Amino acid sequence: MAPDPDAALMVAFQGGDEAAFRTLFERHGRATMAFCNRFVRNGARAEELAQDVFLKLHGSADRYQPSARFTTFLYRIATNHCLNELRRGEYQARPEIDPESEEGAPLDPDALPGTSATPEEAARGNALARDVEAMLARLPESQRAAFVLARFEGLPYEEIAQVLGTTVPSVKSLVHRATVSAARALEPWSGEGAAS
Amino acid sequence: MTNRDSHVADDLTALLDGALPGQRRAEVEAHLAGCAGCRAERDRIARALASLAALPAPAPPPPGFEQRFFARLAREAPRRRSLLDRLVDRPLRWLVPATAVAALLVAGISFRHADDRADLEMARHLDLLESYVEVASLDLVETPEDVDVVSHLDELKAGRP
Repeated sequence: MAPDPDAALMVAFQGGDEAAFRTLFERHGRATMAFCNRFVRNGARAEELAQDVFLKLHGSADRYQPSARFTTFLYRIATNHCLNELRRGEYQARPEIDPESEEGAPLDPDALPGTSATPEEAARGNALARDVEAMLARLPESQRAAFVLARFEGLPYEEIAQVLGTTVPSVKSLVHRATVSAARALEPWSGEGAAS
Repeated sequence: MTNRDSHVADDLTALLDGALPGQRRAEVEAHLAGCAGCRAERDRIARALASLAALPAPAPPPPGFEQRFFARLAREAPRRRSLLDRLVDRPLRWLVPATAVAALLVAGISFRHADDRADLEMARHLDLLESYVEVASLDLVETPEDVDVVSHLDELKAGRP
């Protein structure tokens, strides 16, 4: 396995180097917020959750074993925290995002893929995002976590199994069932007759 | 698909993800070569996965993201350590019998009412209860933040910087 520079930073932090922890947050804080937002669909809450995750990381650094990838450790804390947040219940009743609402408003153009997205492409991307978020909200929590880790974070099944504390065959099943649900929900976006 | 068991639908996502072991991959591909239904399902899944590539990148956090976190860390991390320091600085030897009494009390309740779900739940969280008993007896639990710290005692260690 290639050396994990983040693992080295975590080891430095275990040794008392607060600057190393700062670097870890600067590297992974924003991505962690985006990850949390896949679960709660609320930017402000996602930021709070990301902060919670790094506070937990700060407080539980001694548990980290350098043999594990840092991001696996981080995803494990973040996934557990987000699933606990979902279990609080308030998100189950949360309505799908209203396109007219603030959250349904066009995203920051700087965040769109590439710099040449036309307004039509941006609008199409935002509509797709709303359908994906609605699809995610309907998934059982374990499928949702597996799908987010596989599709948006790009983790291999083995690493997802470590994050979720389960087996690779279980991950294979979770990812497959979630992906079949996604294929059904995203049919309008993926067929030959998809809007363009 | 008249005989679903002979089809390979459950393996199609893993096939597309490159996550099937070699032998199983060969079996699935051999099946696909002769099964239009499974090929259609594979293509449907592949199109859905490809459509995700059109998603916009996540919106960035508002300005000040890092500053807000480090301000919160500065507020909360010392407090967590402070409670722990107060705990470990106290003479601890009398905590042993206190913990034992609490454990026996909870265990006794749980065994006498083993069919009571609430008691079983309490028994399952014996460690946490012991922590609460110990800390509460020291009069250190003053605020909701202290309760949160107690619930994360296992994540804290003495001597952390």
